[in-house]
Amino acid sequence: MTDADDAESRSATGDSDGSTSVVTTTGLTKEYGGRPIFDGVDLDINAGAMTAVIGPNGSGKTTLLKTLLGHVDPTAGTVTYTGPDVDRPMGYLPQEPAFRPQFTVSETVEFYASLVDASVDTEGLLREVNLYDARTRRVSALSGGMRRLLAVAQAVLGDPPVVCCDEPASGLDPSMARRVFESLAGRAADGMAVVVASHTLSLVETYADHVVILDAGGVAAAGSPAALIERYDAADLWDVYATVVDPATAGVSRRGDDDDTAERDAAASDPTADSGGDS
Amino acid sequence: MSPLAIMSTLIDRELRTAARTRSYYLLGLAVGAVLLGLTLGGGGAATGYIPAVVDLLLPLEILVPVVAVAIGYRAIPSDLDRGEVAMLDTYAVSPSAYVGAVYVGRAAVLSAIIGGALVAVGVVVAVTAAPDTGVFATQSGVDSPILFGRFLVVTLLFGNAILAVVVLASVVVATTRTAIVAVIAAVLAVVVGGEAAILLGVLDGVLDEATLQVALGLIPNSAYRGIVFETVVGVLSAGESGYASPLVSAVGLLLWTLVPLAAAAGLLRWRLR
Repeated sequence: MTDADDAESRSATGDSDGSTSVVTTTGLTKEYGGRPIFDGVDLDINAGAMTAVIGPNGSGKTTLLKTLLGHVDPTAGTVTYTGPDVDRPMGYLPQEPAFRPQFTVSETVEFYASLVDASVDTEGLLREVNLYDARTRRVSALSGGMRRLLAVAQAVLGDPPVVCCDEPASGLDPSMARRVFESLAGRAADGMAVVVASHTLSLVETYADHVVILDAGGVAAAGSPAALIERYDAADLWDVYATVVDPATAGVSRRGDDDDTAERDAAASDPTADSGGDS
Repeated sequence: MSPLAIMSTLIDRELRTAARTRSYYLLGLAVGAVLLGLTLGGGGAATGYIPAVVDLLLPLEILVPVVAVAIGYRAIPSDLDRGEVAMLDTYAVSPSAYVGAVYVGRAAVLSAIIGGALVAVGVVVAVTAAPDTGVFATQSGVDSPILFGRFLVVTLLFGNAILAVVVLASVVVATTRTAIVAVIAAVLAVVVGGEAAILLGVLDGVLDEATLQVALGLIPNSAYRGIVFETVVGVLSAGESGYASPLVSAVGLLLWTLVPLAAAAGLLRWRLR
């Protein structure tokens, strides 16, 4: 990690570019059975920005998100929420979301909407995630991708100041994946702090304001996509990733990550491919 | 949102989930058929409510825990597997409210299945038994639908206590697959293990006549049996009561309901952290 990365993992804390940090981690460390997942992670999650956490499988992305949410206790360090005092400070989209199969899409969203104080335009929300036409369908009849879209709607219900999304584009077709990222970027533009753990680097490069690359138990690099590309003299975020991530662990990532492999292979075989998107 | 409003929303979802689960209807039909078959086959239907109770008491000590396991073993593990509990945790839903709502929903299902089957049995007895079963109020010694109603209520108290144990055991394990094993082990430990412990206590002389009544009241099955003997069957043979203390037994069943639920909520809170 370079000095620039160190500074950038603390980037935009509300000091340099006017954005406001709503979650701060200091020296965040998590171990399982004595094996460190990550060690001494310092981050600022800013309101009005999408922060993407990327890294090889097993680098601690999901654990980091769960630690931010308070679902996992850190071994050391702190997570401090400094956002507004609301009933629901953080929304969450789990890695493999599912819902009760007996209910329709509308009923599921309305159930979660009834748990927040604010009135929610559930129809508008379903249109936003492209599920309005499927609103009367039972959850049991939805594809995996549609269930993920439903989980996206659930995550942003009531406009929590922070939303943590674990692989929001996993299992979605390219256009729907792009739509989900657009939707989350729109939420970020409206002031929400969006944290995304993702392997879809092309979408991260396009939509994220801040990227944190986890590897070998810590933050290997951090910054805006453009800054990282410039700093590492790279063609795109893929090149940054390949440069920064330990090849040994990156190999693990390539074997275990179909999204990454497919995207990279497609880009390599198609000279017209747009590295900035996967649609 | 107020905790009461959240609890109400969660209970509403549980009840609607139950109402849309077809297997519960099948389970209800099966339980009804078994109880009616036992009543008709045992002769209770032709002779009155108390004979029907005597016919059904022992089978219900087995059938009620089986129904409780079938209804409750995957309620919380399924939500955990789906990530719904983690999602609900981001709302102002406490583990206590969640566990309480799940329990109320499943208790309603158990009460509908067992209660519905027993009501059907009661109707059959009313139609087919001797004419003196129509007496509603008299001194002891006469069969009555009121006694059968007591039996029904006590059976539901017993079933809902076992259901609380099932809910607790299901939270202990990590996945839905292992939940069934943990739940069956827990129910066997409580139902069989409890009575075996009392038997050993009597044989070893640890339990005397006074402490035995208390011990019997603190084991769900013997508490259930004790209340039925004292307040339903024993009414026909006044002066020969004393098998168990109905008060201690009722407190025992209440404890077997509340303590496991509190433990389940605490355990879930710990699992989410």
